[in-house]
Amino acid sequence: ELLHSCGHINPPSAVVQCGSNFTAVCVVKEECMDFFHVNANYIYWKTSHFTIPKEQYTIINKTASSVTFTNIGLLNTHLTCNVLTFGQIEQNVYGITIISGFPPEKPKNLDCIVDEGKKMLCHWDPGRETHLETNFTLKSEWATEKFADCKPKHDAPSSCVLDYTIVYFVNIEVWVEAENALGKTKSDHINFDPVDKVKPSAPRNLSVSNSEELSSILKLAWSNPYFKTVARLKYNIQYRTKDASVWSQIPCEDTASTRSSFTVQDLKPFTEYVFRIRCIKADGKGYWSDWSQEASGITYEDRPSKTPSFWYKIEPSHVHAYRSVLLIWKTLPPFKANGKILDFEVTLTRWKSSQLQNYTVNDTKLRVNLTNDRYIATLTARNLVGRSDASVLTIPAFDFQGNLTESKCYLITVTPVYADGPGSSESIKAYLKQAPPSKGPTVRTKKVGKNEAVLEWDQLPVDVQNGFIRNYTIFYRTNVGNETAVNVDSSHTEYTLSSLTSDTLYMVRMAAYTDEGGKDGPEFTFTTPKFAQGEIEAIVVPVCLAFLLTTLLGVLFCFNKRDLIKKHIWPNVPDPSKSHIAQWSPHTPPRHNFSSKNQMYSDGNFTDVSVVEIEANVKKSFPDDLKSLDLFKKEKPSTEGHSSGIGGSSCMSSSRPSISSSDETESAQNTSSTIQYSTVVHSGYRHQVPSVQVFSRSESTQPLLDSEERPEDLQLVDHNADDILPRQQYFKQNCSQQETNPDISHFEQSKQVSSVNEEDFVRLQQQQISNHISQSCGSGQMKMFQEVSAADAFGSGTEGQIERFQTVGMEAAIDEGTPKSYLPQTVRQGGYMPQ
Amino acid sequence: MLACLCTVLWHLPAVPALNRTGDPGPGPSIQKTYDLTRYLEHQLRSLAGTYLNYLGPPFNEPDFNPPRLGAETLPRATVNLEVWRSLNDKLRLTQNYEAYSHLLCYLRGLNRQAATAELRRSLAHFCTSLQGLLGSIAGVMAALGSPLPQPLPGTEPTWAPGPAHSDFLQKMDDFWLLKELQTWLWRSAKDFNRLKKKIQPPAAAVTLHLEAHGF
Repeated sequence: ELLHSCGHINPPSAVVQCGSNFTAVCVVKEECMDFFHVNANYIYWKTSHFTIPKEQYTIINKTASSVTFTNIGLLNTHLTCNVLTFGQIEQNVYGITIISGFPPEKPKNLDCIVDEGKKMLCHWDPGRETHLETNFTLKSEWATEKFADCKPKHDAPSSCVLDYTIVYFVNIEVWVEAENALGKTKSDHINFDPVDKVKPSAPRNLSVSNSEELSSILKLAWSNPYFKTVARLKYNIQYRTKDASVWSQIPCEDTASTRSSFTVQDLKPFTEYVFRIRCIKADGKGYWSDWSQEASGITYEDRPSKTPSFWYKIEPSHVHAYRSVLLIWKTLPPFKANGKILDFEVTLTRWKSSQLQNYTVNDTKLRVNLTNDRYIATLTARNLVGRSDASVLTIPAFDFQGNLTESKCYLITVTPVYADGPGSSESIKAYLKQAPPSKGPTVRTKKVGKNEAVLEWDQLPVDVQNGFIRNYTIFYRTNVGNETAVNVDSSHTEYTLSSLTSDTLYMVRMAAYTDEGGKDGPEFTFTTPKFAQGEIEAIVVPVCLAFLLTTLLGVLFCFNKRDLIKKHIWPNVPDPSKSHIAQWSPHTPPRHNFSSKNQMYSDGNFTDVSVVEIEANVKKSFPDDLKSLDLFKKEKPSTEGHSSGIGGSSCMSSSRPSISSSDETESAQNTSSTIQYSTVVHSGYRHQVPSVQVFSRSESTQPLLDSEERPEDLQLVDHNADDILPRQQYFKQNCSQQETNPDISHFEQSKQVSSVNEEDFVRLQQQQISNHISQSCGSGQMKMFQEVSAADAFGSGTEGQIERFQTVGMEAAIDEGTPKSYLPQTVRQGGYMPQ
Repeated sequence: MLACLCTVLWHLPAVPALNRTGDPGPGPSIQKTYDLTRYLEHQLRSLAGTYLNYLGPPFNEPDFNPPRLGAETLPRATVNLEVWRSLNDKLRLTQNYEAYSHLLCYLRGLNRQAATAELRRSLAHFCTSLQGLLGSIAGVMAALGSPLPQPLPGTEPTWAPGPAHSDFLQKMDDFWLLKELQTWLWRSAKDFNRLKKKIQPPAAAVTLHLEAHGF
């Protein structure tokens, strides 16, 4: 053989990453070359037994040749460098091993689990297969301390059991490092408290016990794992019946706290159940324990929940009047028996008698000899706890077929019999032959309206129906009219007749029809009312309201237009009897005494004014006038009609209305009340015939006469006052000089008043009144009072009135430029006029 | 009033205490430490039973209550109630930390002497757990911003069996070590419960603060 080492390959060994390129160089010793008379061209490469194509070779120099692999796949092979000696003999020069693979991937999904009572196991996903020997190291540390590395066992390279006993409640940091020939990497660190990674031991000693009191419960008890002392637990409890394969689970919220027993409810009686339980830390961190060993228990018995299926067979008997009846039934299935059935009890009762026959049977059939009568048979099943409900069966009488009668309602019930017992029965009503009803329905009214009536009736009793009632017919007519018929479905018991005439007598009757005919019931009469309910009220109330409204409007209108009305209805006829003839009074001082303002103010006293008092006469003779004064009177009861009547509006009498009428005034009146003149007025005015005679009688300087004789004066005055001007002038001539002063003062006052409120105004007026009471000219006072009353009567209108009042007064003053300026004010106020 | 309330609501996101998405604070770690002390207490109960049985009578007798002799180096858990109440959080934690540092050293000495393999395992586990408790306390202290006490010089157990100790006295020391450990665990449970209650209601405090702002 040749020399052992004729050359070598560089690198001497190779771990190559898949997908990369790799080049190996074979250097042959020169002496070998010479010996074999070869050069580098004779070098060829082989992997295992395959020669590598020449294209991959590179001749470096005389003794060296290289081979290049590109994009190396997965391989684990020998690469040899060979020399072809003597043209045909293969001579192996050197060989190396090439292994390809991958560097380790970063381990993922590192997690740990603490099996209770064991050490902590951590596992991870090592990632892609490296095809190389890869070492994993599990590292762990506390914040203050490092623990020994954990090396996985060879058979489980991606998990490791830490060899120290884990300490709960101290956070630990864990990670994995992976290393192979191609590289080194490490996983993410995980930091956790081992107590959150615990898989507790399964609960032990699970036991099941039943309760004699309740057949639907089973009590479970178990021993908790030791982990209970470390943390609180919660549980899963599952159960199934013995034969079932699917587990039911008790709601988790019922088992969410540490416990060692549990009562399972809503179970079926006398049924065997299988239970199992597992636990986990109560906050759900960690792992569920394994299931405990299964334990089973049987719920206690309950009384049978269903009656047995029950039927009979009648067999002919040789004995006359008796028959042999075989009663048969089935055993109850376990889920209905609810326990072990001890026996069955059969009771036979003859129809309409109290004769009882009791049998207790262990079998599921019973043969009895019965008479041909009808029998009622009952069957109950009994177990340890109690009896089932009774199953009732009617054994019909022997002669059942013959006795059906016509026009009688029969209820026919058919009960199917299946293999496992009777099914649900169906019933139907039937007649052998129908007939018309033997009685008709009795109809009556439920409610009668003006144009309609609600009729009602009762269903016919079954005894008189004689068939199926198909429909009803209602006949109704008035005393004279034709009969009307209405068909009504048989399901109704009520019908509304409409389009009736009001206040009419109706006769109504009803007939019921079967398939075979009908029968009328008794006739019923009723009268429709004349008016519908509420109709009268609907008419009367609006009429009353309208009337009231009209009246009210009328009154308001009259009140507003009282001036106009007064003018048309009671025109102010000058009353000669009211004429004041100052000169008549022997005590009256000359009129011109009052024409001076200064004198008036300085005196402050009117004791010298002569007043003509005519109260008694006026009162008696003019009752109508009094009425029209009502409003005025209300405001100043103290006037007592002294100013009533046309004459009362005179400036003389107006001194009376003053609230604080003074004694002086009284005395003044008294002194002047004795004038004869009154009698003249009485007769004159009453008949509204101010005759020439009257004038002739008072041949004095009556202003009234003046004014009537001078109608052209009217044109001069403001049109507002045109109709009353005569009296103005009359006043003027009588007491214009007297009035001047009070009126001016009043005018001034009005200016003030316009800026104050109503009450102030009234008060001021009153003060004014009392201030000037003794010196007041009659109409001046009167005017003020009327202002007060107007303020009361029209409220806020007062100020407006006052303003107008002022304006009028001013205009008048401009027009006249004389003491007459007072006149328009009086006119506006209507102080005396509207009376 | 309404406007004021609106303003407060508007600025609500700016209240730093309400933005609790970040660091959960020391609350959870205190809770964990509390749980750990309770767990260790439980663990120690079974360990002590085993160990005292190992020591034999009279140490394993239930009414054995020897005077505290020769165990002066052990940190005392018992403290006057008033003194305990007057401790502040930092001091409380420091005392706990120091005590367990000492006790752990002694316990490791105990470990070396223990006879059976099972007992040794239990002791080793308990030591690890106690180590964990120390780390936890350190964590809480860091979270509360108190510095860790400097490691004492010569932390290696000085409680090695010496010629001065008779066997009985040594057992007595072991007994007292376990007893003191038990007491310390009780006390720590109290300490951390107190701390837990103190730290836990920050949310309520924020609410109150807001109300004061709004009205």
